[in-house]
Amino acid sequence: MIGTLGWIVLGLPLLGALVLMAFGAKEPPKRVTQLVGCGSIGLAFLATVVAFFSMLSEHAEERTHVSRLWEWIDIGQGLKVDLAIRIDQLSIMMMLVITGVGFLIHLYSTEYMAHEDGYRRFFAEMNFFVFSMLLLVEAANFVFLIVGWALVGLASYLLIGFYYDRPVAVAAAKKAFVINVLGDIGMVIACFLLVRELGTLDYDQVFALAPQFIPAGGGVALSIALLLFVGAMAKSAQAPLHTWLPDAMEGPTPVSALIHAATMVTAGVYLVVRTHVLFELSPLAMNIVAGVGAFTLLMAATIAIAQVDIKRVLAWSTVSQIGYMIMATGLGAYASGMFHFLTHAFFKALLFLTAGIIIHALHGEQSLDKMGALRKPLRFAYFAFATGCLAIAGVPGFSGFFSKDEIISMAAAQGTYGWVLFGVSTLGAFLTAFYMFRLLLRVFHGTEPEGGYHGEFHMSGAAMTVPVAILTVLSIIGGWIQVPFGWKKVTDWLEPVVGGIPQKVNADGTLTAVGHVAAEPSHNLEVITISASLAVALLGILLAWYIFANGPERRLRISARHPHLRSFLEDAWRFDEVYDETVVLAGRASGDGLRDHVEPKVVIGAGRGVQELFSDMARFMHQIQSGLVRTYAVALMAGLAAVAVIFILVSR
Amino acid sequence: MSLTTVLILLPLVGAALTLLVPAGNRDGARSIGVLIALVAFGFNIAAFAKFDQSRGALQLGDRASWISDLAVEWNVGLDGISIWMTLLTTGLFLLAFIAIAARMPDSHPRALIALLLLAECGLLGVFAAGDLVLFYIFWEAMLVPFALLIWMWGDRTRGRAAASFVIYTMVGSLLMLVAILSAAFMAKGPNGTLTFAIADLANHEWTQSQSTWLFAAFALAFLIKLPMFPFHGWMAGAYSSAPLVVTALLSAVMSKAGAFGLLHIAVPLFPVGAEQLALPVGSLAVCSIIYGSLMAWRAQTMRMLVAYSSLAHLGFIVLGIMSFTSIGAEGAVLQMFNHGVVTAAAFAIVGIIARAKHGTEEMDQISGLAKGAPWLAGIFLVVTMAALAIPGSNAFAGEFFILIGTFERHPVLAVLACFGTAYAAVYMLRLYQTTMNGPLDGEPKKAELRGLDVLYLAPLVAAMVVVGLWPAAVTRTTKASVECATTAAGSLGLVTAEGQPPRTAPITTELLGCR
Repeated sequence: MIGTLGWIVLGLPLLGALVLMAFGAKEPPKRVTQLVGCGSIGLAFLATVVAFFSMLSEHAEERTHVSRLWEWIDIGQGLKVDLAIRIDQLSIMMMLVITGVGFLIHLYSTEYMAHEDGYRRFFAEMNFFVFSMLLLVEAANFVFLIVGWALVGLASYLLIGFYYDRPVAVAAAKKAFVINVLGDIGMVIACFLLVRELGTLDYDQVFALAPQFIPAGGGVALSIALLLFVGAMAKSAQAPLHTWLPDAMEGPTPVSALIHAATMVTAGVYLVVRTHVLFELSPLAMNIVAGVGAFTLLMAATIAIAQVDIKRVLAWSTVSQIGYMIMATGLGAYASGMFHFLTHAFFKALLFLTAGIIIHALHGEQSLDKMGALRKPLRFAYFAFATGCLAIAGVPGFSGFFSKDEIISMAAAQGTYGWVLFGVSTLGAFLTAFYMFRLLLRVFHGTEPEGGYHGEFHMSGAAMTVPVAILTVLSIIGGWIQVPFGWKKVTDWLEPVVGGIPQKVNADGTLTAVGHVAAEPSHNLEVITISASLAVALLGILLAWYIFANGPERRLRISARHPHLRSFLEDAWRFDEVYDETVVLAGRASGDGLRDHVEPKVVIGAGRGVQELFSDMARFMHQIQSGLVRTYAVALMAGLAAVAVIFILVSR
Repeated sequence: MSLTTVLILLPLVGAALTLLVPAGNRDGARSIGVLIALVAFGFNIAAFAKFDQSRGALQLGDRASWISDLAVEWNVGLDGISIWMTLLTTGLFLLAFIAIAARMPDSHPRALIALLLLAECGLLGVFAAGDLVLFYIFWEAMLVPFALLIWMWGDRTRGRAAASFVIYTMVGSLLMLVAILSAAFMAKGPNGTLTFAIADLANHEWTQSQSTWLFAAFALAFLIKLPMFPFHGWMAGAYSSAPLVVTALLSAVMSKAGAFGLLHIAVPLFPVGAEQLALPVGSLAVCSIIYGSLMAWRAQTMRMLVAYSSLAHLGFIVLGIMSFTSIGAEGAVLQMFNHGVVTAAAFAIVGIIARAKHGTEEMDQISGLAKGAPWLAGIFLVVTMAALAIPGSNAFAGEFFILIGTFERHPVLAVLACFGTAYAAVYMLRLYQTTMNGPLDGEPKKAELRGLDVLYLAPLVAAMVVVGLWPAAVTRTTKASVECATTAAGSLGLVTAEGQPPRTAPITTELLGCR
């Protein structure tokens, strides 16, 4: 029954997308688009909820449901791949967020996109995204994981480039697509290794066989884990493959909220959690994962401070927050990573959608320099945005506090390396509070921008405010399912999927554990880490208040004092420049070189040389031709025979 | 007469029938073309329905003495690989005839139809031949009509293009003729019986150097035909000069003759030689992938972009064949089918887009068509994604299997080839985005899909979707034949590569019913 529901959940958004696409050039009435677009996701959400409750009534160990449609390929040698889905605790958690938050964002879009061309196309592509994302999390083997993985990339490409007559959007879309193809390649090569070592790509078989046949700590284990992680880095915008995400903000704001904040970009976290058995076989890979997460969270947080586009600040904040999740998974704290994914989906969707209300009100203005003192006219947005800021900054009681704090505590409990990561993530927490309150204060406090706003405010209706209100509530209460010194609902729920250590069966039948379980922080340690992160969060807020609360004078004075640092952060540590001047330039130059020199001169030139040889021969033949067909025939036969004899002699 | 014989001779009869039509009668010529192509496709479907996919040998064929003095036989039949290749041929020729029928050129309509039918006959013969001499005859028979098609209906560089096409392929095919004769006489020995039957020659044990030289000669002919870097000197001229329909047929169908020969003749007949040369040929394949991708990225016309992307895709096919693993070779066969379907659609779309601005194929001349031509944009997106082998597409299935197979034998080549897929994203999106996105330049109304375009593209897109969702539909038919073709070379490689017998016992070719 849960398997069937899984297919229904998957099928509804696909059906919605196909129906909407089938209209082609004809724009159907808006009502129809809304009904199909939102209805399909709403029904999918309901089906997911039903599946979730029926799963609740099952025994914890029996909550995995595999359902197959047909055999996709059977190549002999044991490699057999089915079109199949696998619903378990992890996938249902993802599905709830994807369809639930997805539905709210669809609802919001019915109003937000109402004045845009391509209303139908927007919902068709959004539905297609939801389908792809569900496929990604429901897949029962690596092949369909990769299929879902690539199709969300395609959906993301289409939606980043939604305004396809704008060259900037088109370029951003292409960049996102190509970087994600690099990630796909990593995962595909990991699959080659899995096939070679284990002969299967089915999750259950891979996770059962891997500890037996792949030596723990060896090069193969390291390669598989790191190659999979390349995919995660590309999709989840982790350094150095993160540069596409800020550019992805060219897409409409609901797209940024759903795809580039709440769901798709967290797929990397899902991947590591899903394949954690493979990662645990290589402690070094785990440390690299944690290190990449930590580096990314700090780097992105510094960049977020210097951005002036409201959506770009949120984009860098997303990169940074995913860094926390990735770091958690690298530490083996999978449930903590997933918990942060959950709360982040709430508060980041909230922040983006509220940003959408602000942008909407200001007729498309996204620059912080054109905002300020909006708390009176946009009272609702102010409260919603402030709630999001409090949540992401980790103020106690709000959802982000519980999840981020848990990651920081877990880091502190993991030995020396853990302490380093603890330091980095605490610093990150300080920066997070600082840049988020900078954003809040620059938008809603301070003074009106020079030159005023662009005319009358464009106020949002119920379709936009209701989803934001629901997300506001969720951003407050969403964290209370997992409370320090209290209950651990998320950890308990995911325990059968991510708990336990992979075991290797020895020749004598005994078991050896490979990999390790992340150590739980002690009570005292947790008190210390909570106090620390609380202190830095408050410090960040206060500092932001000191600089940004009253007009621009103070911030201008400070930034004028550090022009180099400021431009370095504004340019996002100049990753793009480096890539453009190395990889892109080299590729383009070598392509041009081949086109202008090698192809005409060498390849075609060589052929021409042969051709001239033939015409010379023809001229020679012209002189000896007698006109007797008999002679020609003899010569032809003799020639062929001679070549054949030579050939036989040579090849003997 | 067997189904296969009928299938091969039907286009020949059709070509003869066109002679009955008065010259310049366009309606008569075009109805013969479409009708014959339709009947041939129908026969092919019938053959597919009767096909026994559990057997690897040729079936539904004839074997009769033909030129008995020279031991040449009329030996034709279909196996799991050739049934898909003939389906591709009859299907794409049918579409080509329909496309041509809608826009018949004014010059020599009768000759055009006759030559196309002759080309179809030659290709079907190549795919169905069970005898090397017969194979050679059809191989040459397909060259002539294609060369004439370029020469008579090409653009102003057609003379040079046709000449270079002929000379390149002649060099290859003469070498192949020498190899065919040498192989038959070497296999005969002093007092054996002479035979050119492929199935019989496959039983002969060549010395290592014989096998290597013979393989090299065959392989060269096939690599030129594909074409494969660095033997593709004829490609740019021929592809850019020929009418678009002919270019599509050259790339989508004729190139498969080369790949088919490699898999169906060169590798099973000379497994030792194939194993010796696996690395060099595989490396050329990877060079083709990278070279073709870079050239496609920097190409200036839409047509040449698709042409060079085709060079890259053919590299994948050769790579899969040269892996001698059943998964790699099955991926290669799947990809031969996929490439035919995708390339035919891609060239058709180039023609459709070119309508937006008086037939120009320059890429920087056209942009932003999506706004006025949403159906074109949508279908083109599907084709683009299939061409860049996005996971979930039919081409992904093919390339994925090819690379799994290659990775088992030559991990470095497989990893390098993977980067070809990244390039594919770059150049295909370049084609899509420059023409469909950005500010409008051109007349989208003229480019939007019409009835005929839909008739042409719909079956191709449907094939892409079905194979993407269910690649087993193809591979379950090809499996037995592919194992027949690769088992010998594959088991050799496993022994020499690891110094120990293969993990799984090699399936003996008798067991599969290869003979």
